[in-house]
Amino acid sequence: MPVSTQPPNRVIPALALSALACVWLLDFGLVQPNRIVSGTGYGLYAATGWLGAVVVSSLLAVAVGLALRPTHKRFWVLALLLITALMALPLLLEMLAQRKLPEDSAYARIGIGAGFWCLAFFLALMLLETLGQLKASRRLQLSTVLLIVAGWWFCATREGLSSLSLIREYANRADQFTQALTTHLSLSLGAVAISAVLAFGLALAMVRRERLRRPLLGLVSFMQTIPSLALFGLLIAPLGALSAAYPFLQTLGIRGIGWAPAMLALIAYSLLPMVRNTYVALMEVPEPVVDAGRGMGMNERQIFFKLKLPLALPVIIEGVRITTIQAIGLTAVAALIGAGGFGTFIFQGLGQAAMDLVLLGALPTVFLALAADAILSALKFQGASR
Amino acid sequence: MIELKGVTRRFGDAVAVDNIDLTIETGEVCVLVGSSGCGKSTTLRMINRLLPRTSGEILVDGEDINKADPEALRLNMGYAIQSTGLFPHWTVARNIGVVPDLLKWPTHKRDERVSELLTLLGLDPATDAIKYPHQLSGGQAQRVGVARALAGDPNILLMDEPFGALDAITRENLQQEMLRIQRQLSKTTVFVTHDIDEALKLATRIAVMDQGRIIQHDTPEAILRRPASAFVENLIGKGDRGLKLLALRTVGDVMERYPRPRQSDPLTEGLKETDSLRAALSVMVWQNSDQLPVLSEAGDAVGTVKREQLLQGGV
Amino acid sequence: MRPWLAPVALIAVLCALAALLPAMAPLFSWVEPNTDSLIYTRDSFWFLLQSHIWLVLVSATIGTLVAVSAGIFVTRPAGRDFLPLVSQVASIGQTVPPVAVLALAVPAMGFGEKPTLLALVLYGLLPILRNTLAGLGGINPAVLESAKGMGMSSAQVLFKVELPLAGRVILAGIRTSVTINIATAAIGSTIGARTLGDPVIAGLVNGNTAYVVQGAILIGLLALATDSLFEAIERAWGRTFSI
Repeated sequence: MPVSTQPPNRVIPALALSALACVWLLDFGLVQPNRIVSGTGYGLYAATGWLGAVVVSSLLAVAVGLALRPTHKRFWVLALLLITALMALPLLLEMLAQRKLPEDSAYARIGIGAGFWCLAFFLALMLLETLGQLKASRRLQLSTVLLIVAGWWFCATREGLSSLSLIREYANRADQFTQALTTHLSLSLGAVAISAVLAFGLALAMVRRERLRRPLLGLVSFMQTIPSLALFGLLIAPLGALSAAYPFLQTLGIRGIGWAPAMLALIAYSLLPMVRNTYVALMEVPEPVVDAGRGMGMNERQIFFKLKLPLALPVIIEGVRITTIQAIGLTAVAALIGAGGFGTFIFQGLGQAAMDLVLLGALPTVFLALAADAILSALKFQGASR
Repeated sequence: MIELKGVTRRFGDAVAVDNIDLTIETGEVCVLVGSSGCGKSTTLRMINRLLPRTSGEILVDGEDINKADPEALRLNMGYAIQSTGLFPHWTVARNIGVVPDLLKWPTHKRDERVSELLTLLGLDPATDAIKYPHQLSGGQAQRVGVARALAGDPNILLMDEPFGALDAITRENLQQEMLRIQRQLSKTTVFVTHDIDEALKLATRIAVMDQGRIIQHDTPEAILRRPASAFVENLIGKGDRGLKLLALRTVGDVMERYPRPRQSDPLTEGLKETDSLRAALSVMVWQNSDQLPVLSEAGDAVGTVKREQLLQGGV
Repeated sequence: MRPWLAPVALIAVLCALAALLPAMAPLFSWVEPNTDSLIYTRDSFWFLLQSHIWLVLVSATIGTLVAVSAGIFVTRPAGRDFLPLVSQVASIGQTVPPVAVLALAVPAMGFGEKPTLLALVLYGLLPILRNTLAGLGGINPAVLESAKGMGMSSAQVLFKVELPLAGRVILAGIRTSVTINIATAAIGSTIGARTLGDPVIAGLVNGNTAYVVQGAILIGLLALATDSLFEAIERAWGRTFSI
């Protein structure tokens, strides 16, 4: 049997060389005297010494070499290498802290530089390409991500990284962080849940009455077109007027600003993807399937619950996925009208020009969105395979 | 003239076309026939370099095709495929005019050519030219596909199962058109099909392919009479190969011609010179007659044909 | 001409409001009875509208150029190796909330128009890229095969066949991108871009609902006008190519 030769992979070398350039050209990390002053940047060599510089550069060189080797095993080796590298990445920042952090200053902290971000980004892309080449199953992909998150968690709890600005900001407001997380999740998930129920009803109505389709879809897509800031803003006046007129609403917390307009706007936004997907899913159940069910003596109720709904489920879940991701992002904007959540940190941080506080709000928001995407995609595939 | 010398094509480890030699004379219709995956389409697509060959030589009029610019090569080879590949965003006229446009013909010459071809293929230059492909029936779309292949007046025509997706009646019609057009234009044609009847009907010579090799390359009659292997025998079908042989010849080949056309009895059904012996035999069986007159277009009897003559014609 | 009626009308209303809002002070005293400053005056609405449109226009132009060229590159033989990664990045990238991209642009580039523009370009090119890939990938392979078989060069296949056929899907991607960017540019006010978000943010900070409403109305109208403009363009496109 002939040895099947694999063409050399060009993607990973391209990514690795870009990473190499970024790492050497950009600031790898910063040392700041306090949380507001931007501090001094250090390149890779200055930040991590020859040890870090050699490890990082040779890692990337090895990746290039492996990608060009014409054997199949190379991608498994690459995957292991990249996962280990990503897990251990925060240790480079620890090296910076050890080498450059002034001992005597209680406020001094280290910040993450563009070089570090680029390195993390390109390593992640390389891992993505490697997993793609391996045709990795969803389970393998998910465990990879969990492994890397666990690695970062472990690094973050080490003493050596306590001077990292992001961790300092977190330590200063651990309670607020938990509260923001709760608010953010309950607002976005609450809106998704309510709109799911509403959307299901609307979609069913549209399936039953063809006449309703155009006006209803028109209405929900009209609302989707209005930018979030405008919709939040436009809800302030009427809700404010309502609560002024009926004081008991105020005791419920319904005011022009706060969670009430946020929730309303989030629901309004969530309706379009939810209604559209549910409707399409229910309409596109193949006619022969329904016919066959009818032919076997199922009644309409059985046809709906045993045939239509299970077949429509993956598309409906896709609607939930889009909606959830969107709601998580919009909840961050809703902090502007006092709804709380991670957006509070973002906009506070922007107001105080405290970049680490911005990160403390933005990174968890991104993380929540990605997590929601992963979980709901997995659910969708499970629904589809059943 | 197209010559393939020791042409091989591999996809990875699989050999699609295995060291074939084939010569297609100028003006003849060579039909590549075989089951799917036998390498016939691959062979066709190597002739206009849509696929590169792994080894061997392909010459057109003595010139290696790899020496020519691939685009220039294809502009001189009409190409029609089963799914038509009509450009959905262009009208029928613009679709047909694409090669003249690429050849930078002047507009009026192109427009004349387009309406000439529409007429040739039995389409209406006034109404059909402005239609879009999605407004055509399958048969019409295929006619447009053939017209497009002919538009640049190429010396060579490559056709990859062009009638494969059509219903039996439309296919039959288009095969007739194809024969008529070929009589008028005499293009060197390479035609790929899996339908042996289509091959027998259209081919000057047939190349039977199996597993990347050419099993037999000969005239339809020779293939029917002397199949080279059990595979070919199976392909042509043992059961009715006698009838297929009859289908190759026409009444005109075996009839007794009168010195002068005679008035015919308007009540008897006659044959035409262009009818195949198979069709003639069918009429005779149906009418239970031993002899039938052969009529001209005008309806005069130009000769007569007997049942024995028909049957001998097939042997 | 009928499809152009709605966008023209909406644009007219938008321009009229941007010019005339300052004269409508009495109307807003109903919303915000307890103050004299009923109209946002730090910048004229007209200026903010222009600056908002400018940001979106520039980012959409850059985003389209980058995304369409990238989409073309990864669907050519030379770049096909990059296709799986690029399409994965395009879809994962879209799960990142736009406001987070905006916020993350500040540590990278500081405050002002530049980080806003960067965020708009980066986030805006993802839907265009995704649709370019979908549009180019969705073309019937037989059409491409016969285009090549007719003797078209790769460039002719691209410009005469692929791009016109994928155009509608790409246009839909640009529409999505612009819709998102109008919203994101409004939030760009919080990082120092001058947009129609300014009155809203100022109103929220100072508790002046009148400012909020003025900004919100103009942003909403801008979004609706743009959307109906794209609707009309898409119809015109469909008529031109009859698909």
